[in-house]
Amino acid sequence: MIELCNVSRNFGPTPAVADFSLKIESGAFFVLIGPSGCGKSTVLRMINAMILPDKGKIEIHGQDIRETEPEKLRRGIGYVIQSAGLFPHWTAADNILAVPRLLKWSPSKSAARLDALVAMLGIDPALLKRYPKQLSGGQQQRIGVARALAADPDIILMDEPFAALDPVSRVALQHEISGIHAESGKTIVFVTHDMDEGLRLATGMAVMNNGRLIQAGTPASILLAPADDFVRDFLGGEALQLRLLDLVPVRKLMKPGKTRATETIAAEASLKSALNLMLASRRMSLCVADESGARLGEIHLNDIVARRDAR
Amino acid sequence: MAEMPKVHDRVLLALFSLGLAVVFSGGFLNHAPNRLATGVAYPLSQAPALEAAVAMTGLCGLALLSFAKGQKLRTFGTTLAAALILWGSLAGAGHFAAILMQTGPPAARASLGPAFWTLAGVAILAIVDAVQRGSFSFLARVGIGGAFCAGFFLMAAAGDFDSLSLAREFWNNRGIFVSELLHHLGLVCAAIFFALMIGAPLTVLVLRKKAAAGFVFASLGILQTIPSIALFGVLIAPMSRLSELLPLLRGLGINGTGPAPAVLALTLYSLLPLVRGFYTGFSEVAIEVKDAAAAIGFGWRRRFIEVELPLALPALISGLRVVTIQAIGLASVAALIGAGGLGTFIFQGIGQYALDLVLVGAIPVILLALLANFIFEMLLGLARRNL
Repeated sequence: MIELCNVSRNFGPTPAVADFSLKIESGAFFVLIGPSGCGKSTVLRMINAMILPDKGKIEIHGQDIRETEPEKLRRGIGYVIQSAGLFPHWTAADNILAVPRLLKWSPSKSAARLDALVAMLGIDPALLKRYPKQLSGGQQQRIGVARALAADPDIILMDEPFAALDPVSRVALQHEISGIHAESGKTIVFVTHDMDEGLRLATGMAVMNNGRLIQAGTPASILLAPADDFVRDFLGGEALQLRLLDLVPVRKLMKPGKTRATETIAAEASLKSALNLMLASRRMSLCVADESGARLGEIHLNDIVARRDAR
Repeated sequence: MAEMPKVHDRVLLALFSLGLAVVFSGGFLNHAPNRLATGVAYPLSQAPALEAAVAMTGLCGLALLSFAKGQKLRTFGTTLAAALILWGSLAGAGHFAAILMQTGPPAARASLGPAFWTLAGVAILAIVDAVQRGSFSFLARVGIGGAFCAGFFLMAAAGDFDSLSLAREFWNNRGIFVSELLHHLGLVCAAIFFALMIGAPLTVLVLRKKAAAGFVFASLGILQTIPSIALFGVLIAPMSRLSELLPLLRGLGINGTGPAPAVLALTLYSLLPLVRGFYTGFSEVAIEVKDAAAAIGFGWRRRFIEVELPLALPALISGLRVVTIQAIGLASVAALIGAGGLGTFIFQGIGQYALDLVLVGAIPVILLALLANFIFEMLLGLARRNL
């Protein structure tokens, strides 16, 4: 668990983060979101002591981070930044194994870990001998993520890691990191200003503005009950209702039983996909099927429009 | 109508034209009864026919090669043609001098004229150009350089140059030549050592405190603009005063004249290019790379040694290169305040109106600078290998 208690930090006279308190449960995929300059990166960088708070304290697993030497603390926390920040004079393999080298792992242990990471992230082994400038942006960031995971830390901090990538690489890496999170149960703190990315990945979320925490909770709870106009606007204003549909699976609103609907949608698909299919096929209702294709029931447009208790 | 042949290499054509113009207008060898007399200038056409023909064949070869289309043909052809020019001129001058000296008085001198220097210069420029365009490997460059040096030393050992006054001056001074050469190198190395000792902390200062950067660079810039002879002169008074006051310094041989003020002046001149090169090198290491290193747990010492230093290395080497080449040249002036070095020959030669003695000092200075440049280029290539 990561806990920030009444943390403040000024840069010169301007407060970057003001009286900020937050609990991040172990195993969460926690997204810090807000407009540029809202202080979200500062919060992230305070967790691994890259920036020290002026006031307040930060605890990891109940221990004040100031009690640990900064270098030691950081070797136990994975870190990924937007531009990957790979060492240009090291090969991809050397970059990935940077932290194990700092921790003086044996060559055999490092080699085994490298193989595991390469398999986990789907890195082409031929790339390992290349230097960063010989890699594409997506490949570099994959190496960057592997470097963060190398020493198997409990906590991974990611500062807009996919913002500079092309849409295809971005979605692929989001998928990758989401799978790694689900499998490993690591705590991930993820900074982004992209609401779609945040909603796709987050199990927990905090919206920030002007250095302050505006609202924290699950993505659904924030979408359903925005704390104020800022959150509402940031969530997408008019698109808010459509975004909400993206979070709810068809399974929750379907009516079991027989159906005469001809178009079929998967039970785990989102309401947004269902609405999309209705619009595309000009039907008011769809047949809901499970993974094996067995018919489970029906979902009607009215169910989506009049939805209650979508949570 | 036949098509006009196309010029593919203007450099070669220009070199040919320059060589041709000077060969027909300037003397190849100057023969004088003694140092002070003006003497007679003999053109290349009166030199031994075979050697002159070889040199002219090489020169005309350059003209023909400038119309050659293939890059490879031009590169190899140019190297060969340049070799012909160089060997022809060297052998021609040596043998021609031997013939002239048979008849003259013992104090007579045969010195190299503008046509010789132009031909030698044309040959060297053509080779350098060919080697650079041909992007030869390190070994090939060393091989080509080695072959030319070997040929030169073989001719010298065979006594081909014995009648040339330049060779005679060199031979007369051979005893002190090596010691002055080492002395020269000593001045340069000492200056670079002290410049590094002062420059490194100054670099740290300007990197840490941006406010200090302006002041430091402005002061070093002023030092850099003081003419060298003036700085050497200005240092004499305070240095001798200091040595009078502190017997310890006097004991160490530190005085108003001699090597101490020379090294001090060379050090001061080296500071600006050195600190500026180092500063640029370290400040151009990408901020996100430094940031990432710190964030994954590199301590500042490891970060400096393993990340910042290797990434800044090319700029550091470039800075050192500028400083070394500059110091090699400036150290010749230091002979004026009794610091010794190759400048000794230059100023002696000027004083005695013995231009060949000037060359005994000046040519090695040029060669040293070229050698230093070559070594630093290689180091730079190594440092940039993976960047």
